[in-house]
Amino acid sequence: MTTKLPAVAFRNIFRNLRRSSLSAIAIAVSAMAIMALLALFECMEADMETNLTSYYTGEVRIRHESFEKYERYNPLHLSLDVDAVLPLAKSVEGVEAATSRINFPANLYLDGKNNGALGVGVDFATEAAFIDFPSLVSEGRLPQKGKNELLIGAILAHDLQLELGDKITVLTSTALRGSNAMTFEIVGIASFPVGGLSSKTLYIPLDRAQYMLRMEGHTQEILLQVADGYKEADVAQAVKELLEAELGLGTETKAWKDLNMMYSFLSIAKFIYYVMAGVFFVLGSTVIINTTMMVIYERMREIGTLAALGMQGKELTRLFLLEGSFISMAGSTVGTIAGLIIIAVLGKVGLNFTEAMSGVDMEISSILYPQVNWWIALFVWFYAILTATLSTLIPSRRASKIQIVEALRYV
Amino acid sequence: MSNRTRVITATLLCLLCIPLNLSAITADEIIKTMDGMQTFDTSYSTGSITTTDRFGAKVSTFKAWTQGSSDSLIEFTSVAERGQKILRTKGSLYLFYPDAEELIRLQGAALRQSVLGSDLSYEDMTEEKNTLDDYTVRLDGSQIVNGHDCHVLTLTAKTRQVAYPIQKIWVDKETYLVWKAAYSTAQGRLLKEMEVLDTIVVDGRTLPKETKIEDKMKRDSSTVMALDTLEVNIPLDRKIFTLENLTW
Repeated sequence: MTTKLPAVAFRNIFRNLRRSSLSAIAIAVSAMAIMALLALFECMEADMETNLTSYYTGEVRIRHESFEKYERYNPLHLSLDVDAVLPLAKSVEGVEAATSRINFPANLYLDGKNNGALGVGVDFATEAAFIDFPSLVSEGRLPQKGKNELLIGAILAHDLQLELGDKITVLTSTALRGSNAMTFEIVGIASFPVGGLSSKTLYIPLDRAQYMLRMEGHTQEILLQVADGYKEADVAQAVKELLEAELGLGTETKAWKDLNMMYSFLSIAKFIYYVMAGVFFVLGSTVIINTTMMVIYERMREIGTLAALGMQGKELTRLFLLEGSFISMAGSTVGTIAGLIIIAVLGKVGLNFTEAMSGVDMEISSILYPQVNWWIALFVWFYAILTATLSTLIPSRRASKIQIVEALRYV
Repeated sequence: MSNRTRVITATLLCLLCIPLNLSAITADEIIKTMDGMQTFDTSYSTGSITTTDRFGAKVSTFKAWTQGSSDSLIEFTSVAERGQKILRTKGSLYLFYPDAEELIRLQGAALRQSVLGSDLSYEDMTEEKNTLDDYTVRLDGSQIVNGHDCHVLTLTAKTRQVAYPIQKIWVDKETYLVWKAAYSTAQGRLLKEMEVLDTIVVDGRTLPKETKIEDKMKRDSSTVMALDTLEVNIPLDRKIFTLENLTW
């Protein structure tokens, strides 16, 4: 009898196909939901990491050692000499790319009113390793070195009703703690994946920013990209030590993960994601357990009959365990495949959160493109089978111990 | 006492009181005289603004022209802000930056922004000398400030358009120079303090040569505005105070 159990269990599935299908569908839907959610969270985490390292901090950021202490006063005079620091930083093993940036608060003077924005002076040539500007430009072109030209975020341009070719006067505080204003021509409009960048930011050539901010030859920060196989923290330490040894320059050189604000933000975000994923996991598991247990309890009469015909308790347990595992295998496989298809489609089409994210100042892209992760797929497939199979244990063990007379009372 | 004696006594008392009444200057008169002493038909000055804060001292130099009580033009000559100008004409304030293709007009709260990161606001730098138009004045008494006998006056704003709702000023009884001032909110919160460190006599008037201003909203910050030269009532081209001249 024992050797025939798999065949009996398999046949039982088709004896009540509707019931078996319902059970399998419940498992499939749960597996699919869990998988899609995990893929989405993984995508959000990776997206935030990419955005932070591309648009904000690089993988390693070098600043004047006192900059952070006085950051709220916009201390642009606490700067770095580009010609001295950049070549040294690039010479460190593991540094793949380096670029200079100057972030400054700017007022855009329009029709007698000042409109707040964030200005960024960048070297568009060396930025290629950090921000893929050409792919972000939705209209026009990139500003050219030496010219009073700027690239403006699409939402900011829309809000201020600015178009290509318009001229705008940017008013700001300088490194010499004075003020200055320059007029720039809008030569490009960019749609950044992060809503906050599109709605607040404008980019100008680094040399123009240095001139306007009275920072000739200097920069606020130098960002580094680290080659594969190197640890960001190790590279940061090596750069810091080299700058101290060669230039006697004290810097705040840190890996992006060690930049308190950003990393703690990512950690909080991760924690929130995992809590949300956990809730969905519990919900999905509950559906699987509930469905499987109900299927067993529905069949008490059948269990009684089988016991009356001489089937042993252990055989009964094994029979239902096998039945549960067959159904969960089918459900989990279908759910996982469906999840993979959904993720693949969303990976192409994208999940658009532009409306929901408007006004939310987070470093997450407005459109997310979840990617298929085979390890997640394997985990969810296995997890769904295990949960569903184990959840048949409780009722089937109870069923195996039930008295025949009592089982037949379920009629 | 006979009627004749009474009349003579009353007359004498009245005569004695006349000098007292004549010498009792009112708060409004003090302010009018004070404004008058600070106002010239025209003036030209050069000077510097030294701002000291947590990052050290920074010096900006300037040239300034004034006309009457409401027109003034300041041009910065220090390297960091060379060519930048501030023009105030009746009711309007404009900023000129050499690299900007348009003038920036400041109005409302923007007038209270700091000039070159100093403790001075644009309004402080270019304020009109018509105090009684904006404030009601109360004479609180007398006090000695730096060895000078001063009237102590409290000015309360008539409108909400002014930068300082309450001003307490110490005006020299002889020269009508404001030696000291404390600027506060309507609730009494101290915003700024001003103190004259040195004076200059021009055209028979004593004027501040070196003034220290402390913005109490900033920590460890003070600004000393010093005049190197001051010429008054000189011939000036009226076009100096026009927008056309500003962009020239």
